[in-house]
Amino acid sequence: MLDDTGPTSPNSDHTHEDNADVIFNPLTFRSGLGELKNRIIRSNISGMFDDYNGHGGNARVNWETKFAKGGCGAIISSYTPVTVKGRILTRYAMIDDDDKIPFWEMVGKSVHHHGSKFIMQLSHSGRQQDLSGFENIHHKVLSSTNHKDYFHGILCKAATQDEIKDLVQLFANGARRAQQAGLDGVELHGANGYLITQFLSSGINDRTDRYGGDWEARAQFVLEIIRAIREKCGQEFHVQMKINAVDFNSWLYPWQKPGNTLDETVNICKLLMDGGKGFDAFHVSMGSTFPHPTNPPGDLPMQDVVRWYDVMLNQGVRAKMNYRIFSNWFGRWFFHRYWLWRRGPKVEGIGEDYSAVIKKAVQEVDKDIPVMVTGGWQHAHRIADAIRSGRCDAVTIARALIANNDLPQILQRQNAPDKGKECTHCNKCLLNDLENPLGCYEMSRYDGTTFEQKYEAMIKEVNSVYYPPTYPYHDVSEV
Amino acid sequence: MSNDEFDYDRPTPIEAYENTRRWWWRLVWFLLIALLLIWFFSKEWVIAYDDEVEHFKYGSIGSEGNQGLPTPILQALPVIYKDELGDQGFAKFGLIQEEGHDLPIGFSKRIVGGIERAWLNCSVCHYGTYTLPGETTVHTLPGGASNDLDLFAFIEFFTRVGKDPGFNTNTVIAAINSDEVPGNLNFLERQLYRFAVMPLVKKEMLALSNQLEFVARQEPYGPGRVDTFNSYKVLQFGFPMGPHDISDVALNGSSDYPSIWMQRPRAGMNLHWDGNNASVTERNFSAALGAGVSPVTVDAESLFRIRDWIDTLEAPKFPGEINMALAETGAPLFETHCAACHGMGNADYDEQLAAYEVAMAAKETGEDHAAEALIKPTRYDYDTGKYPYLGQVVGLEEIGTDVGRWASYDQDFAAAQMGLYAGTPYRFRHFKKTDGYANHPLDGIWARSPYLHNGSVPTLRDLMNTAAERPKTWLRGARELDLVKVGYRSDARSGGTFTYDTNVLGNGNAGHEYGTSLSDAEKDAIVEYMKTL
Repeated sequence: MLDDTGPTSPNSDHTHEDNADVIFNPLTFRSGLGELKNRIIRSNISGMFDDYNGHGGNARVNWETKFAKGGCGAIISSYTPVTVKGRILTRYAMIDDDDKIPFWEMVGKSVHHHGSKFIMQLSHSGRQQDLSGFENIHHKVLSSTNHKDYFHGILCKAATQDEIKDLVQLFANGARRAQQAGLDGVELHGANGYLITQFLSSGINDRTDRYGGDWEARAQFVLEIIRAIREKCGQEFHVQMKINAVDFNSWLYPWQKPGNTLDETVNICKLLMDGGKGFDAFHVSMGSTFPHPTNPPGDLPMQDVVRWYDVMLNQGVRAKMNYRIFSNWFGRWFFHRYWLWRRGPKVEGIGEDYSAVIKKAVQEVDKDIPVMVTGGWQHAHRIADAIRSGRCDAVTIARALIANNDLPQILQRQNAPDKGKECTHCNKCLLNDLENPLGCYEMSRYDGTTFEQKYEAMIKEVNSVYYPPTYPYHDVSEV
Repeated sequence: MSNDEFDYDRPTPIEAYENTRRWWWRLVWFLLIALLLIWFFSKEWVIAYDDEVEHFKYGSIGSEGNQGLPTPILQALPVIYKDELGDQGFAKFGLIQEEGHDLPIGFSKRIVGGIERAWLNCSVCHYGTYTLPGETTVHTLPGGASNDLDLFAFIEFFTRVGKDPGFNTNTVIAAINSDEVPGNLNFLERQLYRFAVMPLVKKEMLALSNQLEFVARQEPYGPGRVDTFNSYKVLQFGFPMGPHDISDVALNGSSDYPSIWMQRPRAGMNLHWDGNNASVTERNFSAALGAGVSPVTVDAESLFRIRDWIDTLEAPKFPGEINMALAETGAPLFETHCAACHGMGNADYDEQLAAYEVAMAAKETGEDHAAEALIKPTRYDYDTGKYPYLGQVVGLEEIGTDVGRWASYDQDFAAAQMGLYAGTPYRFRHFKKTDGYANHPLDGIWARSPYLHNGSVPTLRDLMNTAAERPKTWLRGARELDLVKVGYRSDARSGGTFTYDTNVLGNGNAGHEYGTSLSDAEKDAIVEYMKTL
């Protein structure tokens, strides 16, 4: 039985030094991304920090730089919409126009300054548009299907073939802008229920044209995107893909179709390698909705659900029903138990067994295609075990890094953050993001002896993303 | 371009969806509520009784939805009209009020259209009582004749109420909310009564009063009698009943309530006093109309339950001493003078019963037995093969009894009856106009006084005399039996309430002068024998 919680290395065959060696062993990509200094990558995670119209702000630079300072090998940008019509939440910096290139250039420079690589995640919400913003309320968002999102009831319409061509170009132009901004690569957000998942998933895609049907047809959309990116950005530019190992699409309503299986995902990944011209790496996640019991893994803080879900009441035609369920004691209790039951017992490394299968299959075709996996990582021995055993080549971490921005540095010296400072996987960050600045809202982690003291400390830490402030504007060297 | 061309309040797709959904929900709720209301207002509920006698006394046959009054209104009437009815309430009309019931025997309840209503059933007319000499205990005869019921007074009372301005929402509500009526109307119910129930009740009762206006021109029936067919003509068919439309003779067709026990052996006999129908079921459905059902509201299942019960309901045994020696002398006399038309007691009953019980036991154990032995014997012999005139109609000239009842049932009415229950399996097809009165079995004849169809002869012994010798005026309404002459007492000290005058139209006591030439001793012997029937 391993002791997962302490800061010291557990009693195992491997010393902490062994584990740190594995984690901090550089990882080399075949693409222009080159070499990462370690195997810890900040997974895509975003807060509503930016200008409403998608221009990045100072807080975003601060945000990404926190993790570069913390020692991450690479940072995958926050969910970056390729068009305002594909945003998930307002105030996320976008890559929908060349006028955004200077901002991202700034972010890239800041991250690079601290020795990390920066990969932009190109995203389109599809029907999973949680806060559409005033720009989008008068039209239905494009998806693969006309069927509304079953969780919140967000309405959508199936893209026509012409619209699909436009969508492909939106991604390709996003990639071009990222390249022009001097970023190290891009990631297509093909997981967690967003537009690309909506095409890939057999649980969602009900098209009868060449973009729907078997897994090959469903992968056609992404295949066209990667080819369009290659056409615009060349073969050297790093392009990776975030993909669901398994969809678990019927987690909420058992009568929904289950979605993609691991076998299908493996086939899709191999197809998307496109004979060596396709993706340079895969980033494995799970769940055809976001959030999903398996992603981000952990608890569901029902008090925060009730406090912050209200902002979505007018976003979907099922949101009011959900809110009524969340805000009565039985519905809340039941939904919480249901959520945890659907997740299962495992939190840290929840996706590692799936990633192992994908890695094996992908690397049988091309050993130079690394596979990274997300899912509650926080312990050096666990990360090292996963890499050592060939389940993945690197791990991506979001919420544990929100708790401890310097987690890589911590893991270099000890197995885990100090007692009381670990990420509790409470997912309060997830819910607060709907209305508050992204940060760690787990009060128990903060110093202080009274509620007020701890709350003060929490406010200070959460708002630290706004420091240094926009004015006086800082220059790169001061960051 | 003018600004007015835009809809600035254009709903978003989500709002449009939710608006549409809201309308669907409204529709669903509307339909659900409508269905619930339709269900509630179209479904009927009754209190069901396991016991056959209780069902007969209080079970619903479906009159409530046709002529019934909301129960609280019915209960309010004795309060509003206390001056008239006194403390007796409906008992004033000879209705029998039992403890533990809020309405007398013969009233049943049914929730129709969401409102509990009450009205009459079979037992109002077919529930007899008697007391024995020197005793006060009231004995009852379920299925006998309602000797106490003064239907004429009952109808008169309701026709007066129907026209009475004092019968109005205010008096009714005040009466219902008084301590004398169980339950109170709350604010909502009061509004319902004020604006819906009472206007309707007033209207219906006024209409009924107008229809039954002719009753005022009839001779009072007296307790234990009913004019069956004249009201029937009006209520079912709206026959005109003015002085020029109907003769005084036909207008006064009152007759005694009959007993209704042992109906199965009567199948095929000409039923009703004038023998106008040989179908027991049809006769039952017709009689139910008299209690207030309509072909639409009739509860056929309930009627069939009563039919099954009266099919084999035993005639009651004579409650006094019988001089068996004298009765045995009377038996052959009865056989000679009466049995051809009426049948007589089953002399072999005891032996047949023993054989029947043996056969039943054999059947239980699976032994051999004769199939005919399984037919339960009856105490009375209804064999129309043996008694050729039993159940047959005897012409008026021959029988010579009062013509009123015969005249009240005419050809036009018989023809009209053929349309009743049209569209149901019970449609009438047997009614006919006859030329006289029918011969009926005399089972339990001791309990069926007074005698002849119009109840014009107080006792069996009086009936053995010539018309000239029979009592001319006497009292009806006494409960005490004269165990010697057999029949209710009718003398001045009997407690009778109604002077029966045989000179009044429809009350004639002539005819049926059979055996009147026998000696007094022979007549006494026949009467003694008839006690055994």
